[in-house]
Amino acid sequence: MSEVEHKEPPVANELKDYIEDGKNKMIVKCKFCGSKILDKNSATFITLQEQLPLMLQDSKQEGEVQSETITDFYHVENMFTFENIGFTHTVANYKYLSCADCDAGPVGYYNMDTKHSYVAISRIVQGDN
Amino acid sequence: MAKTYDYLFKLLLIGDSGVGKTSILFRFSEDAFNISFISTIGIDFKIRTIDLDGKKVKLQIWDTAGQERFRTITTAYYRGSMGIMLVYDVTNEKSFENIKNWIRNIEENASADVEKMILGNKCDLEAKRQVSKERGEQLAVEYQIKFIETSAKDSLNVESAFYTLARDIKAKMEKKQEASNPAGARSGGGHQLRANEQQRKPTSWLSRCSLL
Repeated sequence: MSEVEHKEPPVANELKDYIEDGKNKMIVKCKFCGSKILDKNSATFITLQEQLPLMLQDSKQEGEVQSETITDFYHVENMFTFENIGFTHTVANYKYLSCADCDAGPVGYYNMDTKHSYVAISRIVQGDN
Repeated sequence: MAKTYDYLFKLLLIGDSGVGKTSILFRFSEDAFNISFISTIGIDFKIRTIDLDGKKVKLQIWDTAGQERFRTITTAYYRGSMGIMLVYDVTNEKSFENIKNWIRNIEENASADVEKMILGNKCDLEAKRQVSKERGEQLAVEYQIKFIETSAKDSLNVESAFYTLARDIKAKMEKKQEASNPAGARSGGGHQLRANEQQRKPTSWLSRCSLL
């Protein structure tokens, strides 16, 4: 590797078609209704280890939030970069992101301290239009 | 990174508890077996991007549900807001009468030139109606505020109401800019950033009915 190595995280094979120069190559949309969440080339690919609550919570397991670990995210520094998105009320210094049209979510989270948002790539779809 | 929009407007939904402010912002319906995590926590605000005459406009729309029991909305909510939707329920007389109180509350707390619009929500519930459309229109004329009846449940007129409010804010802002600088080169009270002449596709949430 050359000395001018940048800090972009390695991109897994299944994501290679979607990421170009560390950014989302395609439009980010809601999995369920296709609502446009992010314009192409507006967010940066990042890998993290974050727990995100499941979209659907089993109503039989009351009181406990069921989560999964997610590693691949799109990082959005300014919330007004989003085309259409919902922000939940604050829970423990986070707001969760949801589709502005069908309210499906969480599709990611917003950190109240840094004011940065993170969209979970496994919870959205990407396409040309 | 360069900003990719022309205007940013902060909008508020205000009105008595139960008039449907949250339904205007939140549409999810849940089935009997699963609870949506999002509906449990509730939505604070949404960001919407719309096209107005070739300009890309970002709307940040805030719900004030849960605040209204204090009879006033805290100053923090009003800060920086450029447009307010005053919502009443056509099946609830009291919520209609209270619109006057909400207007007074806005006059005392919000910026003097905030753009307002009155929404008579739940117009799908015709059998339960307590407030006629004419009375809504009269009130709107009295205060010189635009008015439209909506049904959040049927997604009727909700989007066109937001377009109308946004268009009025934009017009007011451009007028102000024109007055302060006829050349129009400097930005005024808002967040005008750059022209975006590219015509965007009309969004799917346009509605059917026209304004009064």
